[in-house]
Amino acid sequence: MAILAKVAFFFYTLIILAGAWWAVTAQSLVRALVGLIATLFAVAGMYLLLAAPLVAFMQLLIYVGAVSVLILLAIMLARAPAGGEEQDPRQPRQYVNALLVLCAPAFALSWVIIKHPPVSRLTPSELPAEALGKALMGPYSLAFELISVALLVAMAGAVLLAFEKRGKK
Amino acid sequence: MSPLTLFQLAALILLAIGMYGLVWRKSLVGMLISVELMLNGAGLSIVAAAQLSGKEPALGQLGTLLVMGLAAAEATLVLAIVVVVSKRFKSIETDAVSELKG
Repeated sequence: MAILAKVAFFFYTLIILAGAWWAVTAQSLVRALVGLIATLFAVAGMYLLLAAPLVAFMQLLIYVGAVSVLILLAIMLARAPAGGEEQDPRQPRQYVNALLVLCAPAFALSWVIIKHPPVSRLTPSELPAEALGKALMGPYSLAFELISVALLVAMAGAVLLAFEKRGKK
Repeated sequence: MSPLTLFQLAALILLAIGMYGLVWRKSLVGMLISVELMLNGAGLSIVAAAQLSGKEPALGQLGTLLVMGLAAAEATLVLAIVVVVSKRFKSIETDAVSELKG
């Protein structure tokens, strides 16, 4: 089983790498969105490997189901020009900045992670969904309420921002 | 390498590529996609740390659920901002939108 888990892990890592690269470099934003969705599916698979099925299904529901549709709506409403929005050439300074931002955290953080490996167990701890629900109602209820308020405020703010006043041209 | 190290490296891939995209992209929607990648990396890192260190598994999973909720709220607001910007400037490229000189 350990071999199978490793195979699954590297399969998901491959999808994450390819999908994320496709999502940031594709010329057309719709294609970038497809790359993002592939990455989201692979991350959900990672959550399943970590024995967190509830988080995995929430990932599918919230990210693949809702957030990607929101991004698709943003692409549609922005009325982007046909044939790709990102075709204009970049300045050389932008190449340098992008490569620097890609490499600096990757090298620094991976050096830290490999040099000082965190204490790890071989198998993830299993937690029933019931325990999660009890924790949400018990010690973490304040965070639960606050996230509801944050979602409500974000929705109301979005409606207020995008609302067009009637009669004003 | 231990499992936790491997999962953290996978999360690091997401973070690095997301930051690259945030600098590279010119349109607001492309930047939003990059931010979603980075948030996914954060969530993966939190769940891996909680599940594989065996200390507070419930805290890690709930933290990732909260990150997802905040990501949904953030995507909603960015959608509204994109609508307003595309109405006012007829473009969602950041170069066209930036009006401050200096």
